Amino acid sequence: MTQADLHKDDAPYLDVADPTFSIRSQAVMEARDASWYARTPYGLAALRYEDVQKLLRHPKLRQGSYRWPAHSGVTGGIFARWWESMLLSQEGDTHARLRRMANPAFSPKLITDLRPKFQALANRLIDQFAAKGECDFIADFTEPYATGVICDLLGLPFEKWRELADIAGEMGLALGVTFKQDLPVVEAATARLMAYAEDLVAARRAAPSDDFIGMLVQANADKSQLSDQELIDMIVLAIFGGIDTTRNQIGLAMAMFIEHPDQWALLAEQPDLAKAAVEEVMRVRPTVTWVTREATEDFTYNDLPIAAGTTLHLFSQSACSDPAVFANPDFDITADRKPHFGFGGGAHHCLGHFIARGDMTEALKLLAQRLRNPRFNGTVSWLPDSGNTGAISMPIAFDPS
Amino acid sequence: MKVDVDMSICLLHGQCVIAAPAVFSFDDAGGLVWVAEVDEGLRGDVEAAADACPEQAILIG
Repeated sequence: MTQADLHKDDAPYLDVADPTFSIRSQAVMEARDASWYARTPYGLAALRYEDVQKLLRHPKLRQGSYRWPAHSGVTGGIFARWWESMLLSQEGDTHARLRRMANPAFSPKLITDLRPKFQALANRLIDQFAAKGECDFIADFTEPYATGVICDLLGLPFEKWRELADIAGEMGLALGVTFKQDLPVVEAATARLMAYAEDLVAARRAAPSDDFIGMLVQANADKSQLSDQELIDMIVLAIFGGIDTTRNQIGLAMAMFIEHPDQWALLAEQPDLAKAAVEEVMRVRPTVTWVTREATEDFTYNDLPIAAGTTLHLFSQSACSDPAVFANPDFDITADRKPHFGFGGGAHHCLGHFIARGDMTEALKLLAQRLRNPRFNGTVSWLPDSGNTGAISMPIAFDPS
Repeated sequence: MKVDVDMSICLLHGQCVIAAPAVFSFDDAGGLVWVAEVDEGLRGDVEAAADACPEQAILIG
């Protein structure tokens, strides 16, 4: 046995597949103190800031969830076809081509036009419960807001939000452990979303525009660069990838602020802190608590041999509270921080981050000004505290206005 | 046209390498290298790279 093997055997073990596992637990912090990595049922987990930062963009690692349908026993059908061919599952030249084609539609330049729409949407939703002094923050705000943003992006009326949220929710069953049982629902939802995307494309072809879909349709003019199917797949990814993440992240933001009322009061007084508040929330309470990578060949990292095919979970959550980098890791929206990993990193860095950052900034700014003294008003129901996490429901009360 | 990258904020995501491979690349040590004086014909690619940079670290002169 080599020294590296001994080292590997000595490494902490974290059972991340256990639904009760918490990425914020004492066990994870102790593992991070003891070792840069832990062993898991899937492979390895990187725990510290410096290593997560390096491994996110390591040339011997690829995005790790591309084989999820096959791992779940699903080998055919339109969801698996979409999942395996869409941007996130691609690497190398195909990934680069698709990313180049998608970039203009996700440009930071488009955010300026969208900002007033985000504000109008947030105000419209807050208007419905501000006088009552209570709401379910997920059902009444984060879900319609996250989906309403997608409606704005796609040029759909807000009234479509419920339908889109339901389709995305049903399609999202594919990411759960019961994917195979849920396959008929997932397939039907995926087909509906594809049809939706095809209608949107047909409308833009009839009336060209410079909005989000219009930009993608323009990229599709050269079909060798973006085929008709790739165009539809990209729109489906934007809808599917944009709803749950934003819904969960804004819910996590509210939970952090309820636990830190002085920070909420500060944000209400200084709305310009909203941009930094989004970053600080994503540092301490990211919805994407880990990023998955897979080794493409055998290599050695920090003296540890890593075999081709090994799955690595890069713990964005534990990395961004690493005391080696964050001397005072307490939630503070005025602190000057090193970058977090809430949008991943490297070639697969979240494509929608300018939009997400923009819509979350506007939401927090208006929420802090209009919902004073927020507190929990009943039991909050949570997803497991690992993988992609967030609140399922969050009853809150606040001072009526 | 002149191209520069603010390495104090660059996080080496490599989105510029994807957007404008004739201008930006990684060296063997994983560091970012770029052509500082670029032909006007590549302006579109450089602008796309600056636009796509998650950290907005690319400066076009």
